Amino acid sequence: MSFDVSLVFASLPEIVGGIGVTVQLLVLSLLLGLVLAVATALMRISRIPLLAWPALAYVYVFRGTPILVQLFVIYYGLPQFAFIQESVLWPILREPYWCAIIAFTLNNGAYAAEILRGGIQGVDRGLHEAGRALGLSPRQRFIYVTAPIAVRLALPAYSNEMISLLKATALASTITMADVTGVARTIVAKTFAPYEIFISAALVYLAMTWLIQRAVALAERRASRYVRT
Amino acid sequence: MEPTPIIVLENVTKSFGSFQALRGIDLTVAKGQKVVVCGPSGSGKSTMIRCINRLEEHDGGRILVNGIELTGAMKNIDAVRREVGMVFQQFNLFPHLTAIENLMLAPHLVRKVSKPEARKIARHYLDRVHIPEQADKYPAQLSGGQQQRVAIARALCMQPEIMLFDEPTSALDPEMINEVLDVMVELAEEGMTMICVTHEMGFARSVADLLVFMDFGEIVEAAPPAAFFENPRHERTRLFLSQILSH
Amino acid sequence: MSAVAGWLDDFLRSAVVILEVLLVALAMCVTWGLLGAAAKLCKSRIAFRIATLYTTVFRGTPELLVLLIVYFGSAITLTGIAQVFDPEVKFVDIPPFWAGAFAISLVVGAYATETFRGAFLGVDVGQVEAARALGLGPVHTFFYVRLPQMWRLALPSFGNHMNSLIKDTSLISVIGLEEIMYTAEMATSVTNRPFTMYLVVALIYLAFTSVIVAGVWALERYANRHLETAR
Repeated sequence: MSFDVSLVFASLPEIVGGIGVTVQLLVLSLLLGLVLAVATALMRISRIPLLAWPALAYVYVFRGTPILVQLFVIYYGLPQFAFIQESVLWPILREPYWCAIIAFTLNNGAYAAEILRGGIQGVDRGLHEAGRALGLSPRQRFIYVTAPIAVRLALPAYSNEMISLLKATALASTITMADVTGVARTIVAKTFAPYEIFISAALVYLAMTWLIQRAVALAERRASRYVRT
Repeated sequence: MEPTPIIVLENVTKSFGSFQALRGIDLTVAKGQKVVVCGPSGSGKSTMIRCINRLEEHDGGRILVNGIELTGAMKNIDAVRREVGMVFQQFNLFPHLTAIENLMLAPHLVRKVSKPEARKIARHYLDRVHIPEQADKYPAQLSGGQQQRVAIARALCMQPEIMLFDEPTSALDPEMINEVLDVMVELAEEGMTMICVTHEMGFARSVADLLVFMDFGEIVEAAPPAAFFENPRHERTRLFLSQILSH
Repeated sequence: MSAVAGWLDDFLRSAVVILEVLLVALAMCVTWGLLGAAAKLCKSRIAFRIATLYTTVFRGTPELLVLLIVYFGSAITLTGIAQVFDPEVKFVDIPPFWAGAFAISLVVGAYATETFRGAFLGVDVGQVEAARALGLGPVHTFFYVRLPQMWRLALPSFGNHMNSLIKDTSLISVIGLEEIMYTAEMATSVTNRPFTMYLVVALIYLAFTSVIVAGVWALERYANRHLETAR
């Protein structure tokens, strides 16, 4: 059984071609997911049941079901409904690209919401009291006291979530997208060299993971610059 | 009558990296003797007694416990640990076991005593430390003084010849120190060989046969309590006593 | 909704397959996790490096990719070997069940390694010292003092790992395992109701993860019962 190392490197350029799609999926889902997560986290900690309960349900469902299932429900499932096919959104909803982004956004949003909530609730009670004693309004306390500290507390968990999302983008290959994994699968189908090609793809993901971790480490250092070790 | 030496430390040295914790310790403890070790923090007192049951490995010199030399040999270390009991400043009770289970564990596993027999021994020692009713409580449900007494009983269940105490009352609230010291005094009166690192000078004065003052990894002075407190020979001893006895 | 009724027993049967995969993967995952943690905690530099390589590679590679490598890679290798003996052989593979369980256990095992390692480190050093002072040997100390306290610390994160495992089982349909995704696909091709069918799949998974979360919560309460101070 020969392992063709040269094939690993020869196929890299083609596989790297899939990075464009992977990165787009990652970045768009992260940004949209973050917006969703902030809103959801605030709703989750709100004392108004009408806000808290839907947020809880959303988080519960999207963290309790596999991403692949969520993806299939959106991509394969929505076309079941006539009103979807006739709606104005149909051109978007029938594209695997947008279905993937919607699925990843919803999934990431749920996890990120819980991470942010953890960060917000991790801020010391004493700091809130100090803020109140100083006469800051709730909104001011949140923006100037809670949020900066919550971000620092949430960074480690959030970086893990970013990497999870990166890995999840590989699932887009199951709905015909030509991301890194999709391209790799196509090549394997032609060359019958699963080890070499998939390992090549794995190397690409590892490189991207490493980049994300470096970037987050920098952010963590900046966010913790005032923390006494 | 020549008292039989049960612990011998000969020129014992120990370093942590570049920091020399013990610089040539010579100490002989006789069977039945009560030794109190005092000194400023960082002087090496804890390190010294932790070397006696091999919780720390000494770098140089010799340590003999009950005739057994402490080397790297597991056989020797096990033999020594069976004879030596230790009580820690932080109690170190096993939080997931009840008081009586804490006491039963080592006799059952190490001395291969049957569970019913171990339970009997455990009850006996819980009585000895005056808290038989706490047998089925978890450490988290006991006060600090009670926990430390359970810890003493746990060490006693292995029926050691020697008991080492590493600042046993330093982590206790003031009102609980006496209940622990009382148990230690009773133990002393029954003839147990004890080495005790402590700041409790009242205890030292009434119980100790020998007071050892350590500073910077050396034994500066070792004398019976009367001589130690009335006539300290070294300036450093005098200084330490004045700091610790002033309130 | 009556479309589902006809397929209910198929879904239930294939749900059982999911549980079987979970059990196998769980056993393997705990094994890799404990081995990895042991390697990272022991004194050997080589063991540490190998374990770190394991966690880095498998935490940074998509589960789907690992699955594909394990399944297709092993198939190519096995087919090649079989063809040496019998040139007529077309395709030999490890059954998707085992390839799948193994693959997902490798990925989650990498996360479990870190969880177990952190949990072992979280056990108070004083505990181990007390055990040593009492004369307990390393094996006794491990089973009676370190392990009982370590799993209590590992439990919350390990619950997450279990959830990851069960959700990852959905990926194994990609290599042909006949579990609930596959049933949904079949049902869709017959009834033309993809949304309904995949919704059923989602609900089944939701049920599984809910049970796991509840179970872990109950276990956490049990594990921490000795910490409730009564004063």
